[in-house]
Amino acid sequence: MTRIKGRNQAQSRSAAPFSQSVLDQANDVLRGRASLRHAWLLIVCGLAYGAVMGSHGGRPLQAVYSAVKVPILLLATVGLSLPSFFIVNTLLGLRDDFKVAVRGILGAQAGLTIILASLAPLTLFWYGSSNDYNSAILFNGLMFGVATAGAQVLLRRTYRPLAARRPWQRWMLRFWMLLYMFVGVQMGWVLRPFVGDPGEPVTFFRAGAWDNAYVIVFKMIWKALAS
Amino acid sequence: MSWLGDLDKILRGEATRLKALRRGRIEVRVGGLTVILILLAMVYGLCIGSFSVFRGGSEGFRQLGASMVKVPLLFLLTLLVTFPSLYVFNALVGSRLILSSVLRLLVAALAVTVAVLASLGPIVAFFSASTTSYAFMILLNVAVFSVAGLMGMAFLLQTLHRLSLIVPEPSSHPDLEAIGEEKAVQTVAGVGQVASPGALEPVDDRALSRHVKAVFRCWIFLYGLVGAQMGWVLRPFVGNPSIPFTFFRPRESNVFQGILTALANLFS
Repeated sequence: MTRIKGRNQAQSRSAAPFSQSVLDQANDVLRGRASLRHAWLLIVCGLAYGAVMGSHGGRPLQAVYSAVKVPILLLATVGLSLPSFFIVNTLLGLRDDFKVAVRGILGAQAGLTIILASLAPLTLFWYGSSNDYNSAILFNGLMFGVATAGAQVLLRRTYRPLAARRPWQRWMLRFWMLLYMFVGVQMGWVLRPFVGDPGEPVTFFRAGAWDNAYVIVFKMIWKALAS
Repeated sequence: MSWLGDLDKILRGEATRLKALRRGRIEVRVGGLTVILILLAMVYGLCIGSFSVFRGGSEGFRQLGASMVKVPLLFLLTLLVTFPSLYVFNALVGSRLILSSVLRLLVAALAVTVAVLASLGPIVAFFSASTTSYAFMILLNVAVFSVAGLMGMAFLLQTLHRLSLIVPEPSSHPDLEAIGEEKAVQTVAGVGQVASPGALEPVDDRALSRHVKAVFRCWIFLYGLVGAQMGWVLRPFVGNPSIPFTFFRPRESNVFQGILTALANLFS
């Protein structure tokens, strides 16, 4: 495996065309050989999918905003969740494996954006074939769902050897998912709009967007139960 | 920096290995650890109080300052009030821990709690910035305190257990000490556990002794009860944006009613 990795590294350093090296590196990430030097893929692919996502309704400014938001969404969520993940890992005596775990987490994030980027043509096709704003949101939700599931697979692959050595790692994986989802949902809510309602002016943040996704869901459930 | 190193040793479980505990106590500087504990609690106070800055306008900063003072006070005052009785119960039940060992153990457990609390601080601050619901913030803080408290309790239980496995040898008998140490290492390695267990992991398969269980239950009951009431007395930590700032609230009802009210408010 190291031999293959070495070859890939050599290839990407050589005078191979830029697109070739992107493909090679994306390939590395998807096959679970991610390292820190793949972090730029997260930014590039995130920007790419964000731009496609924001192109609904053909507004370039919204596309730029959405492009910027996707990497921010992922990086801010990971950044906020890492401190407590670090402390809990340390408490359970898993500090030695923490580097590997973080590399796996970043790799999974990069993988998530690569999967998203690969789904971008589907999104464009959907936008081209339907003009409905709500279905555009749902379709993007579906794409993020698929990409998140793919990232899960990548992260599980990183954790398999770790969990074989220390059974606690299985719980750490669950803890990470819980933390990541809890922060990520709210982060996504705060950074709205990603698609952009064609009936409203283009904005980076939606007016009055600073509210809590969970409170809104609680209230909706409560209303449904009370009525 | 070396005080932070002490905290790190506790978190990594190095300070609570059987070998490190052979004198019957955790070998850390209590004073330095207390300073770190206060600083970390202030960091969390900053995160908790930021809600009122984002929501409360000009008075928000007073609440922020108050929260930064109150969170460390909550932990230290609770320890101050309960420490004598915690020690007496410990002695009554027949544990061998002496006064300074009990103090070190409790401060270390608080340090673990506060470290978890502070590490969850950025998430609390993010929700403070992006939430308008006061009830949600109360419940989020209750959840975060519960997680941190459970971690601290797990540390306390495991360290009590480890301390009970140690046969303290007077340091004037170096030979005996060496034998005891060897035995301790053997027990750890003998049952196929990892050689360096984490701070929250059981060191071997031996069941917790009756003493450990009894002391632990007494302590949790007492500290938990006094801590909950102390938290209630020191209110407000978050600061309700619809009432003007006060350092303390009038004495009324109790903590469990408060949580239920917050739950009801969330849904209405």
